Amino acid sequence: MGLLQKFTRKSSPKQSGSGSNYAYVTARVRAMKSNLLPRETYPRLMNMGIDEITRFIGESQYKQDVDELARTYDGVDLFEHALNRNLAVTFTKLINISEGELNYLISEYLRKYDIWSIKTILRGKYCDASVEEINDSIVSAGQLSYPFLSSLSEKESYESIIDALSGTDYYPTLKGYDGTNLSEIENQLDKMYYTGLSTTVDNPKSNDSKLFSKFIRTEIDIKNLSTLFRLKNAGVEKDEIADLILEGGLHLSIKEIEKLLPLPFSEFVQSLEKYPYWENISGIVKTEMDSLVELETQLTKSNIKSASSFSHVYPLSIVPIMDYILNKTNEVRNLRIILRGKAADLDEEIIRNQLVI
Amino acid sequence: MGAKEVKPTRSELIELKKKIKLSEGGHKLLKMKRDGLILEFFEILSKAKDVRSELDAAYKKANVKIGIAEAVEGRITVKSTAFAMKDAPQIQLESHNIMGVVVPKIESSSVRKPINKRGYGLLGTSSYIDEAVDSYEELVEKIILAAEIETTMKKLLDDIEKTKRRVNALEFKVIPELTEAMIFIRLRLEEMERENTFRLKRIKKA
Repeated sequence: MGLLQKFTRKSSPKQSGSGSNYAYVTARVRAMKSNLLPRETYPRLMNMGIDEITRFIGESQYKQDVDELARTYDGVDLFEHALNRNLAVTFTKLINISEGELNYLISEYLRKYDIWSIKTILRGKYCDASVEEINDSIVSAGQLSYPFLSSLSEKESYESIIDALSGTDYYPTLKGYDGTNLSEIENQLDKMYYTGLSTTVDNPKSNDSKLFSKFIRTEIDIKNLSTLFRLKNAGVEKDEIADLILEGGLHLSIKEIEKLLPLPFSEFVQSLEKYPYWENISGIVKTEMDSLVELETQLTKSNIKSASSFSHVYPLSIVPIMDYILNKTNEVRNLRIILRGKAADLDEEIIRNQLVI
Repeated sequence: MGAKEVKPTRSELIELKKKIKLSEGGHKLLKMKRDGLILEFFEILSKAKDVRSELDAAYKKANVKIGIAEAVEGRITVKSTAFAMKDAPQIQLESHNIMGVVVPKIESSSVRKPINKRGYGLLGTSSYIDEAVDSYEELVEKIILAAEIETTMKKLLDDIEKTKRRVNALEFKVIPELTEAMIFIRLRLEEMERENTFRLKRIKKA
């Protein structure tokens, strides 16, 4: 058994719908969802000091993670690593308990964590970071396990890392890395992730698949919008922006985006009025913007809101599972925002604005 | 130089007169240099005040931006993204002269980079990271500017102090002592002249 096979989690091929255990996984997810912090917890946490918040996290579902990491980390870092570890354990559990098509869909969605870890390892090697530093930044919440990822970070050169990934889907992209074009490879990996997701939800037949497809395609739209805002605001040429546009959006097709690309920033903002996302961002966007932070937060909020809105429609489908994944990610994000925000002495208003409740 | 250590000779008197003239010329020049340096210093001081307050503001802004990025994206994301940014800003150190004081001139390049040339992929990052990077680039620029102006100011201050000490030494020690020695020699020579005249008269009488 090769090293890669040994250290990757269970994965199923795409066409195996009949072998899926939707009933079992959705029942487990329902139970797991009940462990999520209720929304009224966050205003309470906002009124607490750092010590009280860390105590609260240390006594919650994150207790085990905090205890296990307490020997290695301390302070706010300990809690951030504990939150990430819990996220990784939770998502790994979802991959492990699911079967067939369901396993395939979850694994495809969580592949972003694998891509994140591969990027981190390559970045670490690029700047000669130590193995410990690289391992600290890995979140193993996807198909690739922590032992495999840390074995990659121990490799001497990027060539041997890429060789070790030769059996994966990432290899054809990684082969193009020559030690200097890291950002290009990162973009290609991220593009590959979204293209893969988009292919996964191509031609949905059942109603729940249609909803899942809508969810993924909305996420692609939001990613495209965010890229457009960032690059247009920075004055990047349209051809370079076009290279970073993802296919498979729900409302923003490639054709629609091609029309937006040559427009100056102010006209681009005005032309967004006809899209449904305008409702969520109209109060924030201006023809000249110094900061896009608020916009990005608003886009994240609208993504989570839209996913939650249809999560109860098909109880025995991928939809409630995706809703759980999003909510779990958001819980970790919110706890980290409060904790890090308070540690960095940020204004309460700034912290509150970043929260997605 | 005490007046009593001086040989009361005519050649010494001529020498002293030359030294006094030279010292007075040097004193005048140093005084002009001191006043010029003080003027330069005040000009740079107002610039330094502006740069320092801009630096403070940039530091506060950078702290807030990195705080937001670490809160929203997590410290590990910020750290991982920082791994991708290997190129350090280039700094060239030159010097120029203000009234004889050599002060540094710091030129920097590749501090600010366009969003698509920073080294990290854009699809996997967010504007939280972009804005933290922006604010740190601005901070580094301000630090370089402040380093140049504040070093110039420090060097000018050192030189003003040195020049002031020299002016004071010439004004209150060197020139008065030389003048005192000159007066002493002049008086001693007159005295010797009188003694000589008296001696000649006595010899004539005898």
